[in-house]
Amino acid sequence: MTVALLRGEYMQVEVRVFSGLEKFLDQKRFGEPFSVEVQDNWDLRSLLDHLSIPKEQVFTKLVNGKHQELDYKLNDGDRVSLFPPVGGG
Amino acid sequence: MPKILRVNMTTKEVKFEDVPEKYAALGGRGLTSQMVLDDVPPTCEPLGEFNKLVIAPGLLSGTNAPSSGRLSVGGKSPLTGGIKESNAGGISSQKLGSMGIKAIVIEGKPSEKGSYMLKLSEEGAELVAADDLAGKGTYDVTKICRERFNDKVAVITIGPAGEMLMPSAGLTNNDTEGNSSRYAGRGGLGAVMGSKGLKAIVIDCNKTFDAPVQDSDAFKVAAKKFTKILLDHPVCGQGLPAYGTNVLMNIINEAGALPVRNFSKGRFDKANDVGGEKLAEVAKERGGKATHACHPGCVMRCSNVYPMPDGKVCAPIEYETAWCFGPNLEISDLDVVAKLNYICNDVGLDTIEAGCTLGVLAEAGVIAFGDGEAAIKALEEVEKGTPLGRIIGGGSAVAGKAFGITRVPAVKGQGIPAYDPRSCKGNGVTYATTPMGADHTAGYAVTANILKVGGHVDPNKSDGQVELSRNLQVATAAVDATGLCLFVAFAVLDNPEGVPTIVEMINAQYGTELTPDDVIALGQQILKVEREFNAKAGFTKADDRLPEFFTTEVLEPHKTKFDIKDEELDEVFNF
Ligand code: SF4
Repeated sequence: MTVALLRGEYMQVEVRVFSGLEKFLDQKRFGEPFSVEVQDNWDLRSLLDHLSIPKEQVFTKLVNGKHQELDYKLNDGDRVSLFPPVGGG
Repeated sequence: MPKILRVNMTTKEVKFEDVPEKYAALGGRGLTSQMVLDDVPPTCEPLGEFNKLVIAPGLLSGTNAPSSGRLSVGGKSPLTGGIKESNAGGISSQKLGSMGIKAIVIEGKPSEKGSYMLKLSEEGAELVAADDLAGKGTYDVTKICRERFNDKVAVITIGPAGEMLMPSAGLTNNDTEGNSSRYAGRGGLGAVMGSKGLKAIVIDCNKTFDAPVQDSDAFKVAAKKFTKILLDHPVCGQGLPAYGTNVLMNIINEAGALPVRNFSKGRFDKANDVGGEKLAEVAKERGGKATHACHPGCVMRCSNVYPMPDGKVCAPIEYETAWCFGPNLEISDLDVVAKLNYICNDVGLDTIEAGCTLGVLAEAGVIAFGDGEAAIKALEEVEKGTPLGRIIGGGSAVAGKAFGITRVPAVKGQGIPAYDPRSCKGNGVTYATTPMGADHTAGYAVTANILKVGGHVDPNKSDGQVELSRNLQVATAAVDATGLCLFVAFAVLDNPEGVPTIVEMINAQYGTELTPDDVIALGQQILKVEREFNAKAGFTKADDRLPEFFTTEVLEPHKTKFDIKDEELDEVFNF
C-alpha cells in the first residue's frame, strides 16, 4: 500500500468524455468535467477499467492537452479527455 | 466528347469548345489552376476584364465513386491577389460531369450595368437577363430558380456581397434540398463573378451519375472497394457521419489549439456549448438532422441540418464556422452562431473570413467579445453596403488596416482558420506557405498533429512539420483534382490500398494507365503551377510567413510560439 493511501489521501484527476463515450457512464453528459479519485500507481488503462469504458472505443486520450498511451501514469490534477475516432476539417 | 463552355461577358457570346489535348487528363483544381495560369495575366486586376472564373468538376465527378461530387472554382483572388481554387460540395459538380462539361469559363466584363443568368441544359446554354434577381440573397435566388425551372436544378449564385465586389465574397450552390449553402467561399471568387455581371448559373439536368466511363465493370469494382475503404475507417465511417465536422470543436479545445478571442488563447471554457455533440442534440430535438450528405453518393455525410429558432434552417454548420463565430468571438450560443452563418450564406460571404474579421473588429472595440447581438448587427451591415459593412466584406486584413489593429490572423490577406498555428504547427506551415493564403484544407496537418491519423507528429514541436505539410499539400492538390471530398484523406492516409484504388477508378474511367506515383507527380505539378502564377503576380518568400504576433506572443495552455524558421518554410516546395 502506498504512503498516500495510508494517509487516506487520494489523487484526483478531472475527466471529460466526448462524442458518444458518455453512453458508458451513468448520468454524465459529453464534455461535463467530473473528478475521479485514483490511486497513485494507476495508469490510463486502470482509469478506463474503473470507469467501465471499453478501451477499444477510446481512440484519443489527451492528458493536459497532450496525446498519451494507455500506460501513461496518472498524476494528481491531470485533465483527462477521452474521444472515440473523430475527424473533420 | 467532353466540352469546355466559354461565356464571354463582354460580347455575351456563349460557346462550347473541344477540350485541348493538354487539358484532357486534368480536372477539378488541376484544371482550374492550369487554365488560370495559361489564360489569366498574373498581374491583372482581379475584378477587371482579364480575370477569368473557371468552374470545373473533378475527374471523378458524375460517376458513382463515393463522395466524388466536389466542384473546383478558380481565378485570380481579389482577396489575396494570387491564384485561387475554392472547393465546394453541392449538386453542381455531378451534373456538369454527367453532361460532359469539363469546365465553364466566364471571361470578359460587360461595359453596361445589369445582371445575367447563364442557363445550361442538355439542349445548350444561353445568357439571359436577370435583373429581377439583382440584389437578392442566395436563398431567394435559389428558391426563385427552383420554382421557375424545376426543383432538381443546381443553382450556382452570388449574394449582394459578390455584386458589391467585396473581396471576401464567395459563390455558392445548393444541396439536394435546395439550401444554397455549399460554398466556394474562400478568396473572393464571388466578387469575380459579380464583376462579370453574372448573378447565377442554373444547371437544368437531371443526371447525377452519368459521366462517361470507359471500362464500367472495372470501375464498379474499384468504386465498391473504395466505398469499403471509406466505411471501414473509423473517422470516415463512424466519426464524420455521427457528428459532422464540428465534432472537432472539443478535441481541438482539449488539445489547446482552439483559437479563442482573436487568437489570444488556446482554450475556451464554453467550447462544448457550440461543439458537434451539442449541435447534434439540438438539431435532433428540433427536427433537423445530425447527418446529411452535401451531394448524392457521399458515404461520409458529414453535413447537418440545424433548425433555427426563427423557423429557417442553417445547413450545415461546419466546424470552422462554429469556431470563427463561436470561440473566436467568445460567443457560446449555437443559435447566434447559426444566425451569423445564415447571414453569410444569404449575403454571400465566406464565413471563415467574416469570423476572422469580426474578431479583428472585437479586438478594435467596434463590437465586444462575447456580444452575439452586436456581431449579428455588424454582419447585417454587409447587405446594406454601409462603410462598416464594406469593411467587413473586405476581410480581416482590410479591417485591421481600417481600425489600426496589427493582431490580424491572415496570410496573403486571407484569414487563418480554426487551428492555432502555435499549437498545431503543421497547420502553421500550411497557412504560411500554401499558394492559396491561409487555408486549413490545403495541407491539413491536424490529421497527424491532433487526430493521430496518418501517423503522429507532436503539434507543439517544430520537428517534422515541414515534411508533414509538404506531403499533405501535394496529396491534397491531387485529391482536389479528382473531385473526391478531401475527407477521403483520413482513410487514404491510413490505408495503403487507398491511393491505388483511386488510381484504379481514374484508369477505368479514362482508359489511362496511371500509377500511384503519377498521383504524387500530379499534386506536385498543380502546386508548381499555382506557385508560378503567384510568382508572376509578384509574390516572394516574404509572403510565405505568418503574422508576427504568432512568433512573439505565447499561447496558453502549452506556452508555445510559432518557431519554425523562415529557411525551413522555404523548404516546403523543394521538389
Ligand atoms: S464528407 Fe461532407 S463535405 Fe465531404 S462530400 Fe460528404 S457531406 Fe460533403
